[in-house]
Amino acid sequence: MSASTDSFPVRRIMALYLMTGLALVVLLMVVGLLMRMSQAGWIRLTSVDFYALMTLHGAGMIAALVLCGMGGLWYLIRREVAMSASLALWAYGLAVGGVVLVAAAAAFGKFGAAWTFLYPLPFLNPTWPAWSIGAFLVGMTLIVLGWSVWCIQMLEAVLRGFGGFRGVLGWDAVFTPKAFAASGRKLPPPQVLPAFVIALDGLLAAAAASLLGVALLVHWLDPSVPLDALWAKNITYFFGHDLANFIIYMLIAQVYVGLPAYARRPWKNTRVLTLGWWGTLVFLLLAFPHHLYMDFAQPVWIQYLGLGASYVSSIPVAVVTVFGGLLLVWRSGMRWGLGSIFMYAGMAGWILGGIGALLDATIQFNLHLHNTLWVPAHFHTYLLGASFLFAIGWVFAMLEGRSENPTSSAMRWTIGVTVLGGIGLLVATFYLAGAASVPRRYDVEPAPGPVFAGWGSVGAIILLIGLAVAFFEGMRIWRGLKQARTHVEWPWSPEPATQTARSGGGAR
Amino acid sequence: MEIQGKILLTFGVLSLLTLALFVVVAWSSRGSPKDYAEVQPAGYGVRKVWFWVLLAAIVVAFGLSGRLSPYSRAEAAPDAVSFPIVARQYVFENIPEVVPYDVPVVFNLTSIDVNHGFAIYDAKDRIIGQVQAMPGYANDLRVTFKEKGKYIVRCLEFCGINHAFMQGSFEVR
Repeated sequence: MSASTDSFPVRRIMALYLMTGLALVVLLMVVGLLMRMSQAGWIRLTSVDFYALMTLHGAGMIAALVLCGMGGLWYLIRREVAMSASLALWAYGLAVGGVVLVAAAAAFGKFGAAWTFLYPLPFLNPTWPAWSIGAFLVGMTLIVLGWSVWCIQMLEAVLRGFGGFRGVLGWDAVFTPKAFAASGRKLPPPQVLPAFVIALDGLLAAAAASLLGVALLVHWLDPSVPLDALWAKNITYFFGHDLANFIIYMLIAQVYVGLPAYARRPWKNTRVLTLGWWGTLVFLLLAFPHHLYMDFAQPVWIQYLGLGASYVSSIPVAVVTVFGGLLLVWRSGMRWGLGSIFMYAGMAGWILGGIGALLDATIQFNLHLHNTLWVPAHFHTYLLGASFLFAIGWVFAMLEGRSENPTSSAMRWTIGVTVLGGIGLLVATFYLAGAASVPRRYDVEPAPGPVFAGWGSVGAIILLIGLAVAFFEGMRIWRGLKQARTHVEWPWSPEPATQTARSGGGAR
Repeated sequence: MEIQGKILLTFGVLSLLTLALFVVVAWSSRGSPKDYAEVQPAGYGVRKVWFWVLLAAIVVAFGLSGRLSPYSRAEAAPDAVSFPIVARQYVFENIPEVVPYDVPVVFNLTSIDVNHGFAIYDAKDRIIGQVQAMPGYANDLRVTFKEKGKYIVRCLEFCGINHAFMQGSFEVR
């Protein structure tokens, strides 16, 4: 590691990832709003434009939120363990380069095969030019490459910093707890668990994506090379479901560190938390077959594997992490700033989205909900109503933690009600439309879809207004910090737990 | 009430209970703070109960879902009337005009181009069953229609520019 990369301000790397990710999210929210307005009949997008925007919205949102998670988690681990800043910048550059290519394919080539680009849709009777298929696939490949670089760096860092697999997995604490306690050793801080689990599972998902990417690129170059559609679908969802799911598990690391600062209580790693993440390590990889329930040609045991993994994945979330968050807040004398409001509300969003997801993951119910608007309902709940809130909650935690000029109560209420209310209305219309069997991915929806699309648009507009107010409030706090030339390092933040790290990175 | 209504009701009730819990916990934080060590033992006791309740719910739901799944139902109707249907952008070929009432029916789906969906909507415009149509594979959807009338079929797997207009219909009598 060179001195020049070490001297690069660590927080700026996080800011680069987070600000890029959040700016993309807001931009793509506007794209989503345009789609809902078109479905409502308020404006009219052509089918070509609608599906190109839908592809951009889907692929872009996943990439944007992944960027937020990558930056946030990188920063938290970098506080504990030395890591190369230049490698982090490479990962960022590759991922953002991929997003640019995907955006170019959608904006200029009108590539509109959806972010899942299920084989053979991109290639058969396309309304988009051949170059846009290549641009999209190369763009997705770059995103996967950037992701892989991040995963490798993260995995190497946590293994080096916290005693290898045995230390990170808390092996001794789980199997010989008394001897472990007597030795005076401590488990790694909780944010190490998501870093390890996501990096390891992320590499497996990236390997699958690379396999699919190569197969699709070969087919693009020589269409006479056939692929098996069921195989491609399985691989697509193994990667796609996992990557979309990784987001919330990455961003919960920010809550593990951010929320205790407001509650003035520690969120420590324990045997139970470690065991919960052992479960997540496995369940994350096995839940994807619930996307293929309606493919009756799929071996039935795989469907039940997906069902079982989907169900039990709720235990680490509901029993360990979110319950731990609630216990942290219970009678704590919590300091309710915008950061804690967003992070706390995000945990509720995670549970609500999880309930919607588990209902959809029940095979008998999926028969009636699959590919209706119930699907975007539940993933918007935990991407918008949880992951995104974790990310902006963390940004406000960073600002509020160093500010002596807090947000007024009226402003907190204004922002809280508009942002959370907007999200609530937006996702509620998806659930209601899904229960009314309105199909997803229709540019022109059958009744009563347009009515719900109209109310969903109202929700999105309220949300965007709330975010605009939150942005200016954030800028006010930030300007205050600049003018005061405050360099206080988040005084009420838990200190980095370097005692278990073999090589601590002191720079923040 | 159709199954979708029951699912929505279940979701609504569980969501409201969740939100109520979050409001109560947030409200509890407004008073004078308690030491964390004081609240942890009771909290961990509640967590243990919550773990077993959730695990029991999962086991019951898994068992019921297996018993009621469309896969087991498919095996239970060997004497059904069969309708082979081919999906292609943007039509369903060979959809019958008339489907018999109260008789097990099999829709045998395949595709000659991209992935499609085959979702049957009843007179209330609610999905009563669906299956995917995939190139190179055949999927059987088994249904016994208990109500006469017109049914609409919609493609539910995104298949291209005219996806939203890929539909067909049949009469059950």
